[in-house]
Amino acid sequence: MGDVKLENVTKRYEDVTAVDNMNIQIHDGEFVCLVGPSGCGKSTTMEMVAGLTMPTEGTVHIAGREVTNLPPKDRGVAMVFQNIALFPHMDVYDNISFGLRLRNFEKDEIDRRVDKAAEVVQLEGMLDRMPDEMSGGQRQRVAIARAIVRQPDVFLMDEPLANLDAKLRVHMRTELQRLHKDLETTVIYVTHDQAEAMTMSDRIAIIDGGQLQQIDPPLECYNQPANLFVAGFIGSPSMNFVEGEVTENGFTSEYMDVEFDPSNYGVSAGDKVTLGVRPEDIYPAESGRSISSPTGEIRTKTDVIEPMGDEIFIYLLLSEEVETDLEDPAASNQLLISVPPDSDVEEDQDMSVVLDRNKIHLFDTESGQAIEHSLVASPAASGASGTSGAESDD
Amino acid sequence: MNPMDLVSRLVRSADDEAHEDADVRTDGGTATSERQGSGRGFLASNRNLVESLPFWLPPALLVGLFVYGAIGWNVLISLTDWEGLGSPEYGSLDLSMYAQLLGDDTFIIAFRNTLVLLIAFTVVSLAVGLVVAILVDQRIRFENTFRTVYLLPMSLSFVVTAIFWSWMYNFEIGMINQLLRLAGLDFLTQQWISDPQWKMAAIIFALMWQFSGYCMVVYLAGLRAIPTEQYEAARTDGASTLRMYWRIIVPQLRASTTSAAVVLMVFALKAFDFLYVLFGDTPGPSVDILSVMMFREAFSTTNWAYGSAIATVLFLMALSVIGPYLLTQYRRGDL
Repeated sequence: MGDVKLENVTKRYEDVTAVDNMNIQIHDGEFVCLVGPSGCGKSTTMEMVAGLTMPTEGTVHIAGREVTNLPPKDRGVAMVFQNIALFPHMDVYDNISFGLRLRNFEKDEIDRRVDKAAEVVQLEGMLDRMPDEMSGGQRQRVAIARAIVRQPDVFLMDEPLANLDAKLRVHMRTELQRLHKDLETTVIYVTHDQAEAMTMSDRIAIIDGGQLQQIDPPLECYNQPANLFVAGFIGSPSMNFVEGEVTENGFTSEYMDVEFDPSNYGVSAGDKVTLGVRPEDIYPAESGRSISSPTGEIRTKTDVIEPMGDEIFIYLLLSEEVETDLEDPAASNQLLISVPPDSDVEEDQDMSVVLDRNKIHLFDTESGQAIEHSLVASPAASGASGTSGAESDD
Repeated sequence: MNPMDLVSRLVRSADDEAHEDADVRTDGGTATSERQGSGRGFLASNRNLVESLPFWLPPALLVGLFVYGAIGWNVLISLTDWEGLGSPEYGSLDLSMYAQLLGDDTFIIAFRNTLVLLIAFTVVSLAVGLVVAILVDQRIRFENTFRTVYLLPMSLSFVVTAIFWSWMYNFEIGMINQLLRLAGLDFLTQQWISDPQWKMAAIIFALMWQFSGYCMVVYLAGLRAIPTEQYEAARTDGASTLRMYWRIIVPQLRASTTSAAVVLMVFALKAFDFLYVLFGDTPGPSVDILSVMMFREAFSTTNWAYGSAIATVLFLMALSVIGPYLLTQYRRGDL
């Protein structure tokens, strides 16, 4: 059984709190990604599961056993590191079997397990190679074999693919998923790459500033982000944010208004809110008529156009001049939208867009917490191609 | 490069230049154009040679004369029978001095002592340096202070440290015996540098004190080059601290060990000043080493040829230490 439970885990270094009161429960056989920007505490969290760092407060349980103060070797965990960390003076066989030899396994048993692990990661016939004679991908597979061979309760992977080139990374991503399906062992996987987290995991734990922001299945994090941070972090390109205020008629800001009845959404006039909408949920006004519940038209001007091949990204200006604030994207006057590749767009054109009311998120600007993930009171309520929100508010 | 070689090369290249001009003017046949091509390359490299001459020629001449010339001359003298105040006779050269060495018990003892010093001093210094480096590497406070303190003895002259140690080893008033007596360990007090049983150990200890700081610095640099993940990987694999260092970390310090060992061994071979200050030219059979014996034979008893033969043996020993090292470095493309 490889379930992992962190209870009120805190790690403080002198005056820095790296991990702040973390509570995570990971079920047996689950693949959970810890994701967040550099320095958010995700690696420290993993190190505390591994036993490489001891928590200042709180407890860690692995497989139902408290392991808070146990050394790494007694926790039933195996780790794969970002820089691979193969022992350069040992050949592949010795690298893979190192942990078993330390535990005084029989030679036959070691051979059997090493052969099996090498087979799983497709390294047969390479057991007598030295690490410096192998490619990056092969070395990473040795590192994974080194973890598999111990048959741990939990695999801990700390950005294992970060040092590989882009193509190999995508390939190894699939390999890891296949491996997880075969072994059915719990995996905790640290990454700063949200795409990696989205594609691989059963659940994503998004961490920022040492605190757990949300832990949910990937699509839930994507569609129902718990707060502004999660909304901005998950998804590429990032969600658009517009800061504004609630009025009697809905949302208003310097650049755009969206009508709705505040009383249906637990907000009241005067509340400071941030409206969030993903690039794919904004449509040019003419094609927007086909969606079930568009908002009123918003007048914009096209700025930069980025054809990606399978879609086109258009940066729209909500006023005449660019007012980008890199520190606070919500304060800028830009909207990024994505349109089909065959769309006919040019720079510096006037363009009216509509937002899909089903996919508009509202956040409390102050606390960042999500208030609503849809401005359609109930999915069946609308259907008309109206331009105002009033009719969909029941 | 030999200066005569150089001059002849320069002369040859001037000739080539003249030929080449003639070739260009006559015909453009294949053979000539080939020669012309190679001649032009040679010309270009010669121009570099001439332009760089002022930079490397003076040191090359000085080193050639005073190092390689002196070594050659020393070998030559060792083949004569030169002794006393006369001049060497280069008429009859033979290996009689080397034959004499093989039958000389003093030489055999000095040779053995040299090997003991070489091996024991190197091993002990490396071991202490490694342990200190590992301790200093534990992210301790005042790390830089410790590093400086350990390295400091290295910067002192051997004459100075030898005098210090001769005081400290003194039986009556020396610090070591005094401390032992203070601690009530009188039975451990020894005639450290008079008792033949302890002399060599005392010398090795003193030299270790002076050189282990150097080993520490070399090892510390090696340790710092090992990523922390190596330690973490070893620990999650279940290695105890001792096993982790022994099986994962120390094997990765091979390059540091080799380079420090070569420096220590070459030093051990020419560890003359320390012994000479302590004992003069007759340290007694228990610590008589080749360099002291060489000095004694040559300058005290004026057996010039015999001293030269010992010097040649020492030179070959040094060569056998440093030769393989340079060769492997060269093969790996590090030179």
